[in-house]
Amino acid sequence: MADQWQSSMDHAVAIARRAGEVVREALLDDRAVMTKSSSVDLVTQTDQKVEQLIIQSVKEKFPTHRFIGEESVAAGESCVLTDCPTWIIDPIDGTTNFVHAFPFVAVSIGFSVNKQVEFGVVYSCLEDKMFTARRGKGAFCNGQPLEVSEQKDIQQSIVATEFGSSRAPEAVDRIFCSLKNVLSIPVHGLRGAGTAAINMCLVASGCVEAYYEIGIHVWDVAAGSLIVCEAGGVLMDVEGNGPDANTSCLPARCVSDGCLCAGGEVDLMSRRIIAANSRTIAERLVREIAPFRPPRDDAPPPN
Amino acid sequence: MADQWQSSMDHAVAIARRAGEVVREALLDDRAVMTKSSSVDLVTQTDQKVEQLIIQSVKEKFPTHRFIGEESVAAGESCVLTDCPTWIIDPIDGTTNFVHAFPFVAVSIGFSVNKQVEFGVVYSCLEDKMFTARRGKGAFCNGQPLEVSEQKDIQQSIVATEFGSSRAPEAVDRIFCSLKNVLSIPVHGLRGAGTAAINMCLVASGCVEAYYEIGIHVWDVAAGSLIVCEAGGVLMDVEGGEVDLMSRRIIAANSRTIAERLVREIAPFRPPRDDAPPPN
Repeated sequence: MADQWQSSMDHAVAIARRAGEVVREALLDDRAVMTKSSSVDLVTQTDQKVEQLIIQSVKEKFPTHRFIGEESVAAGESCVLTDCPTWIIDPIDGTTNFVHAFPFVAVSIGFSVNKQVEFGVVYSCLEDKMFTARRGKGAFCNGQPLEVSEQKDIQQSIVATEFGSSRAPEAVDRIFCSLKNVLSIPVHGLRGAGTAAINMCLVASGCVEAYYEIGIHVWDVAAGSLIVCEAGGVLMDVEGNGPDANTSCLPARCVSDGCLCAGGEVDLMSRRIIAANSRTIAERLVREIAPFRPPRDDAPPPN
Repeated sequence: MADQWQSSMDHAVAIARRAGEVVREALLDDRAVMTKSSSVDLVTQTDQKVEQLIIQSVKEKFPTHRFIGEESVAAGESCVLTDCPTWIIDPIDGTTNFVHAFPFVAVSIGFSVNKQVEFGVVYSCLEDKMFTARRGKGAFCNGQPLEVSEQKDIQQSIVATEFGSSRAPEAVDRIFCSLKNVLSIPVHGLRGAGTAAINMCLVASGCVEAYYEIGIHVWDVAAGSLIVCEAGGVLMDVEGGEVDLMSRRIIAANSRTIAERLVREIAPFRPPRDDAPPPN
């Protein structure tokens, strides 16, 4: 049976690759930076240019499709997910890295229908690694299948996380509290690529056992969430499963009502995520994370 | 005038490349891990095999040269630096990364004469990047010259650091204190490749403005220290004085401005020196 989203996915891969070229060229040029919500929340003209490139190309081919793009939302567009086919775009995940030419910069494109991620594309453009996943069909990097690590012992694990772009003292305190708890389990080590999308691909690749963060946005994790699940991993909220969650479902195959998910147990609009190789590791991390609740991505904007 | 250490340096590059192949092959095989000073201080048979490979090859070509190698020191060899030509070797910097196939793993070879580093070689073997520096002759990656970042504003900087392998609560407290201070300056971001040698090459490449760590060893930083300096960067102790590669503490930065700014935020402590006499 033909896959009705195949042409959309093919387009996503092609446009992500093209966007990656634009990013690589821009790295040789001016990387003048502006700021958004704080002095360390950076954006560049390249972010904006790449998002426009992607959106325009999709509008031409798929005129009924909708968009949630980081820079469009920053400019006032809606961030509410409907059942319509929707492209969830982070034109440059790792803008801080881009500004510094630190080697992890990704174009992230997640595609959802009926509030469920159908495919995800993350192009790590400085490494020339194209990560893809199609729901039910596995995850791949440059054509090679991906599989999460088999490690179930947290004390033999590497965990990826980030400090994020909030410097508000309360958020920083909680982040440091979680960090110290996790380090002291003890884990083998803590790492961070500086981009949520690539951190999730590191989970899917088996290089780290888990990634967690509070403060990310839906466009940072939509694509990566499916890549992790299709590589055999799981997603979880930082406080674990709610009492109503269907804990027996397989990550890539279940549908949860009301919220956007690829795994059924995490809410991609909640600004919080754990992506792990197994429930064992994810649940162990839940015990160490000091949770807090940033404003949701789909919250109505303040008047 | 011919460079009397040229043949040593050529050998270092060749053997680092060969060692990198051994590491890449081992990554496809068994990466069974053992521990050293703590449950997170890892070593593998590949670490030991690579160090032997390097030392044997050097002994054949340069029979009067001496060695300080991470695994040899762990086995009881001396870690005291003399004036003699000395190869300072970390066979796998980033063993934890190696065990997990996390993409930053380096072979690090520093060469000192009269207690001064004459050349440094860091081979990031999973990226196939050969970083080299010869004192007075610049720093390079795969033949391309390296230059530190020009950024002098700490608030526009990325700083690299690591948590290290000590889980002793007093050390962890100090490390977290420094981390929070640095983050809150605020800097653009904090990163860590998981290997000191590669973190120093990131400074030399201009990808990060500075790297600091307490707990590293001389074999982690000997080569990288020259690569940073030859790319235009500086070294400093975490309390602001001159760096001492045996002191287990280092700041490597693009400029004194950035290094001095970090000194103000780091909560210092003193791990046992690398050249301290072993306990009875």
